[in-house]
Amino acid sequence: MVRTYLLKHTLQIVVLGVLDGIAIWIGTSLALQVHYLTAIILILGAVGINYIYLSKRTYAMRYLLPGLIFLFAMVVYPIGYSFYISFTNLSTGHILNQQQVIAQITDRFYTPDDAPTFTYTAFKNEAGDIAILLHGSDGDLLYFQGEISPVKGSDDRFVDEDGDGSPDSFLSYDVMTLPQIIKSLPNIEGLRIPYDGGTIRLDSLRSFKMSVRRYSYNQDADTIRDLQTGTIYKNIEGFYTSNDGEELYPGFKVWMGIRNYLSLVLNPLISGPFARVFGWTVTFASLSVLTTFAIGLFLAILLNDPYLKLRRLYRVLVIVPYALPAFISILIWHGLLTNMGLFNHVLLQLFHISIPWLENAFWAKVSILLVNLWLGYPYMMIVSLGALQSIPGELYEAARVDGATWWHRFSRITLPLLLMPLAPLLIGSFAFNFNNFTLIWLLTEGGPPINARTVAQSTDILLSYAYRLAFQGARGNQFALAAAVSVIIFFIIATISAINFRLTGALEDLSKNV
Amino acid sequence: MKKTIVLVAALLMVTSVFLAVSASESGKLIIWADETRAPILQEVATTFQDAYGVPVEVQEIGFGDIRGQLATAGPAGEGPDIIIGAHDWLGELIQNGLIEPIVLPEAVKNEFDPVAIDAFSWGGQLYGLPYATECVALIYNKDLVPEVPATFEDLLTTAKGLTDQEAGEYGFLIQEPDPYHTFALFSAGGGYIFGTNPDGTLNPCDIGLDNAGAIAGATLLDQMVKDGIEVAGADYGMVTGLFNTGKLAMMIGGPWTLPDAQKGGINYGVAPIPTINGNAPKVFVGVQGFMVSAFSENKVLANLFIKDFLVNNDVMLKLYTAGGRPPAYLPTLTQVSDNADIQGFAASAANGYPMPKIPEMGSVWSAWSDALQLIVSQQAEPAEAMGDAVDQIKALLKCEQ
Repeated sequence: MVRTYLLKHTLQIVVLGVLDGIAIWIGTSLALQVHYLTAIILILGAVGINYIYLSKRTYAMRYLLPGLIFLFAMVVYPIGYSFYISFTNLSTGHILNQQQVIAQITDRFYTPDDAPTFTYTAFKNEAGDIAILLHGSDGDLLYFQGEISPVKGSDDRFVDEDGDGSPDSFLSYDVMTLPQIIKSLPNIEGLRIPYDGGTIRLDSLRSFKMSVRRYSYNQDADTIRDLQTGTIYKNIEGFYTSNDGEELYPGFKVWMGIRNYLSLVLNPLISGPFARVFGWTVTFASLSVLTTFAIGLFLAILLNDPYLKLRRLYRVLVIVPYALPAFISILIWHGLLTNMGLFNHVLLQLFHISIPWLENAFWAKVSILLVNLWLGYPYMMIVSLGALQSIPGELYEAARVDGATWWHRFSRITLPLLLMPLAPLLIGSFAFNFNNFTLIWLLTEGGPPINARTVAQSTDILLSYAYRLAFQGARGNQFALAAAVSVIIFFIIATISAINFRLTGALEDLSKNV
Repeated sequence: MKKTIVLVAALLMVTSVFLAVSASESGKLIIWADETRAPILQEVATTFQDAYGVPVEVQEIGFGDIRGQLATAGPAGEGPDIIIGAHDWLGELIQNGLIEPIVLPEAVKNEFDPVAIDAFSWGGQLYGLPYATECVALIYNKDLVPEVPATFEDLLTTAKGLTDQEAGEYGFLIQEPDPYHTFALFSAGGGYIFGTNPDGTLNPCDIGLDNAGAIAGATLLDQMVKDGIEVAGADYGMVTGLFNTGKLAMMIGGPWTLPDAQKGGINYGVAPIPTINGNAPKVFVGVQGFMVSAFSENKVLANLFIKDFLVNNDVMLKLYTAGGRPPAYLPTLTQVSDNADIQGFAASAANGYPMPKIPEMGSVWSAWSDALQLIVSQQAEPAEAMGDAVDQIKALLKCEQ
């Protein structure tokens, strides 16, 4: 008893200790990189976790916490991030933040034609500080402790021990060999040595070069000035833009408010097909649920008949579509349904007709529903089979005695008793198909086109339309616009789920247990 | 209350994990390359490591994913120093601030195909070291078509004679709907994608896909469908599958289709697409190369690696052998120029049109592809479909009409 107690606690302490160690390590390195806020958040979180696992008062939380962390990381965080993105202009040309862009633009240089180049000797002391002796055509320059100064011919700070004409040490600094230089390259590469109106920086492994800074940033006015031409670039909607409308690349991410949502409504190119796409999404999802449920239930009733021979074998066979990964079977269906696929081959041989399964808008919709029926009926069949077996046989006996026909027995007993437990599953299936991007994209890619004038295609659902806007849009990727569509889809699905919970009373049951 | 505080604290900790940004290692080169190029670069990396003592890590990433992942990893400081990529990514990568110009001496530049160097140039600066050019050409089965037809009209006559759809035999197919493979038809009569501004840059609002030449090309495609030569639903898998089993006499295809044709034992030939109505068609030329990330902390080393370790016949020859695309490095190109396939593709590329490298191409591909599908499935007249497509592109790009 005591041993298990000890073991459990030792284990707890060890795991917590490791976690704390990692937290302290990451926290320190974050603090060193000046990410103070992140470091503080991390440490607070670590303290919180220690408290939960050590205090007796928070006993229940110990078991809830891992689930909550995953819920937050995989559900809450992505939704929150999509919300945030939908209010920005994140898209091609606007993926960096403003600090990154300013840093990149102000670190651009141009090299005048007569710019001097320097070979160099690098020195390093024990603390790792670096001094650079630049050899130019007009004599040497020394960069030491952030200052640059000319070196006179006989400077006794340099010591040439082996007498080969080049210095081997400088004060407490020792000359660096090429491998040492290569190890310190990122430091040497970062040097920006102001000299004579220009900037000297590393040009290649063995030389420095003088170049001139191209842009300067004015923090008060938030403008960038081209030092070569004098043009001023103002911060306009994520681009530094000159008065003539010239934009400096790259642009950056800025807050756009509800602009993306407005453009979903106001831009006829996007809003025009929106209603049509929404209509097909709802039709597709409802018809999919209806057809899969009808066929699934029909088969379930057949297979539930105790007088059916070989019903175990049939049960196994009809479940096959469920056992194959949808990703593969959809691709196989695509191959069967193409213009020159197996279906048309057979039709052509037997009846001399061919059907444009994927090329015609109507037939493409039929194909999608058929394939989804094939993919979805086994699930409906399994759940119906289970539910059917829970209906007491006496009810049917009583009905028979009262002279009810099979239709009456089905519509007055089976269906009502089945729908009660199955309703939430049907609504869940509707929500799933509402977002069934895999099926649409693998089977038709949303096609065929309605006409070459419209962005949306005839079998696009909202999600594939959002994908189209994001990745095949105007110029490059329109993440923000697609995020706005995703947020709208989120609200639609959330509404459906709320109705689902209301219908099943699941929330009430849940709250009783808490 | 306490529970709430603890909960908030725990959630904050998770947030911090997402916000945490760890710096990329300095003094170490990271290269992103696809599975074909990665093993070769790994060898070069070992030589570099021996010479300079700098560790080099070659990370294998699918060619199509490199561009997207650089946009995420680069700014977060997690990205590579060098990537492999296509020249038509240039506009997007530069406008996103993800790549930096590379430094190459004039003498070294002159050792490369000028078209390839031009393809990797933007605003007067060079952004990548090209290693291969690629384009499509006419690939034909010599057993079925002994002589390359002199004109496209002859080609269609020959194709018609060889086509028997009931028996599953075809004379000539272009994969559809596919603007890349179909551009030759459009360009022969004077169709183009973007016009040029006086300063040589592309003007995304001058779109030449509905001019007389382009519509003539679209009409030719339409006629091919009506004549029973081209069929709807002829995608890449089907076209190459038919060709590799000897059931298709001619197709438009690139160097990437050849390894499978060789496996199928097809006696094939590669030639430029014949003249259409007396005009030589232009095909898209794409160039692949090495680029340096703007977020690299080792730009000098990355440039050194590119200039001193990649620009030599040995490496370029290995890259050629692995990919089968014509080398952009002239000494290597000369060495392999007695290869008949290379000659065919080089002749086709000689009259090429570099694929536009501005991000506006995104909207062109999708609208144009829609138009082609409508033409091939006979749901729209060629002129109407192309006119609609250009209207869509202009509306997407917010051009004044």
